[in-house]
Amino acid sequence: MFLKDCWNKKWILFFVFLIACISCTKDPLEKDIPKNEIAGWKRHGSPEEYKGEDLYLYIDGGAEIYHEYGFSRVIVQNYSNKNGKFISLEIFKMKSPESAFGIYTFKTSTQGKIVDIGTQGCLESYYLNFWKGKTLVTLTGDDQEEETIRGLQEIARAVNARLQDGSLMPSIVSLLPQKDLIESSVKYFRGNLSLFNNHRFFEENIFRIKEGLNGEYRSGDVVYIFKYDADQESHKIFIKARENFKASPHFSHFEDLKGNEIQVKNEDEKLIFMTSFKKYILIIVGAGNPDKKRELVNAIKEKA
Amino acid sequence: MENKINRRSFLKNSTFLGMSAIIGKDLFSAYPKGPWPQPADLPQISVVTGSDYLKASYKAVELLGGIKKFIPKKSKVAILPNTQSKHPGTHTSPEILKAIIRMCKDAGAKEIRSLSWLPQKFWDESGLGETLQTEGAALQIVGKEASFFQPVPVPKGKALKEAWIMKELYDCDVLIDLPISKDHVGNKFTGTMKNLMALNSPASNRTFHRQNWETDINDLHHLDQSIADLNTVIKPTLCIVDSTEFITTNGPFGPGKLLRPQKVVAGVDRIALDSYCANLLGLNPENIFMIKYGFEHGLGEMDLKKIAIKEVAI
Repeated sequence: MFLKDCWNKKWILFFVFLIACISCTKDPLEKDIPKNEIAGWKRHGSPEEYKGEDLYLYIDGGAEIYHEYGFSRVIVQNYSNKNGKFISLEIFKMKSPESAFGIYTFKTSTQGKIVDIGTQGCLESYYLNFWKGKTLVTLTGDDQEEETIRGLQEIARAVNARLQDGSLMPSIVSLLPQKDLIESSVKYFRGNLSLFNNHRFFEENIFRIKEGLNGEYRSGDVVYIFKYDADQESHKIFIKARENFKASPHFSHFEDLKGNEIQVKNEDEKLIFMTSFKKYILIIVGAGNPDKKRELVNAIKEKA
Repeated sequence: MENKINRRSFLKNSTFLGMSAIIGKDLFSAYPKGPWPQPADLPQISVVTGSDYLKASYKAVELLGGIKKFIPKKSKVAILPNTQSKHPGTHTSPEILKAIIRMCKDAGAKEIRSLSWLPQKFWDESGLGETLQTEGAALQIVGKEASFFQPVPVPKGKALKEAWIMKELYDCDVLIDLPISKDHVGNKFTGTMKNLMALNSPASNRTFHRQNWETDINDLHHLDQSIADLNTVIKPTLCIVDSTEFITTNGPFGPGKLLRPQKVVAGVDRIALDSYCANLLGLNPENIFMIKYGFEHGLGEMDLKKIAIKEVAI
């Protein structure tokens, strides 16, 4: 009886220890939610959390883009104030800082105002996004009134204070020449869906990107850089893209330039320049000024 | 005994009539499904611009010939607004829903309801749930399990061979499609055609997004083809599109950049309506696969030059 008692206690202790271990390793998202009142805004209702594929339950139809970038989980908490206004707080935990950066660039625009929150933050007409480490935070108000806009920023700062840093920009971002770059225009892609929503070169998935970006310049040029695993892969895709630019009825004035370079015009009469080097494909849209184009190409090749 | 058999036959025929009107069989249906031959003085699409969305909705339907043309007396009406997200510019305006409910009542509808497999909180947060309640219409929320849906063959389907449509829909005589036109990350645009996915089971809808969507653009085609295929087996009697205020980025959920054309767009030709509304987002309908595939199915007209459009401002 005594031995049986000891044996049972051993198993109980084992399970308690196991549960404790699991609790320690699990990082509850709720800790990132500000609990106390912030400048008149109080929590409204309980938070909701969604993980992995369950994101479809929250953002039915819109979950794919988060998964393309690398989504882990999200927690959602609403806030309200005494004037009946509401703000929705979404804290997305992505799989990596690069994922968080990527989805941040997808959700922000050049019309937003840069705010000093997180690693990068952007305030638009009624919503605010910022990212820090593996986290993307989105706050959405119901209107564009000053009270709401102030609330977005106050709650954002409160969340930011609770987040750990560890932000890491994808290395490909450093390839973009800084001179005349519109910084808030940079978009980071992790697949075809993000590229498709930015610029659809073809109806088929010719570029098969796993990683890429674009940036706009004050000259009006837009630079695209796609990164592949190996030189042969980038060259093979370059050849396929070249064939498609040449054959597609949506492009005209196709021209093979020296070496691995082509140019063509799109339906808006904008010049498209494309080249491949090492494991990259580089495209410049709107390359009307040949000197500017050459300057950009050389600057990128030097950095690669 | 004789009375019982007659009553049973009556119920059976009535059910068949109702099903026919909604699932697109041409026989026995008394309701226009479109494109239908229009009297010369009536447009195929009406567009009303104004800041009073309730009035604009009334006017849009009036321009098409009035609500009684679409809603028979004592009919059971299903209205399908979009309540996908609470963020501004992502869900149908409660004012437009209010107008449609009131118009249906004016026409003598026996019953008006919205059907949904989205939980109550989506309806509460968008304000559409409160509108239904205030205006005396019902909200019927069904579970997501297969038992709440019915398999429907899609004979013209190229990607979708079988849909799973909400069983409750077959209890209704009339379907009014009430989408918001907005951006969609999956295929750039959502309007009348995509809105009907809300009547298809979530499990079936997931098959529209194939496993390779991340790497294979053909999967984007698959999504759009599936939506077009679905539209061959559900035919709304009337479509009223909320193009008043909508997001042009980060759709369908938002938040995103808001555009405010303040237009209510009505008609029965889903292809024409989606083509018109895609233009409002600055999109070329020929580049929206879903519209192209719907046109290829013969669901309507893509070339707006061939459509009679009446535009008024109030």
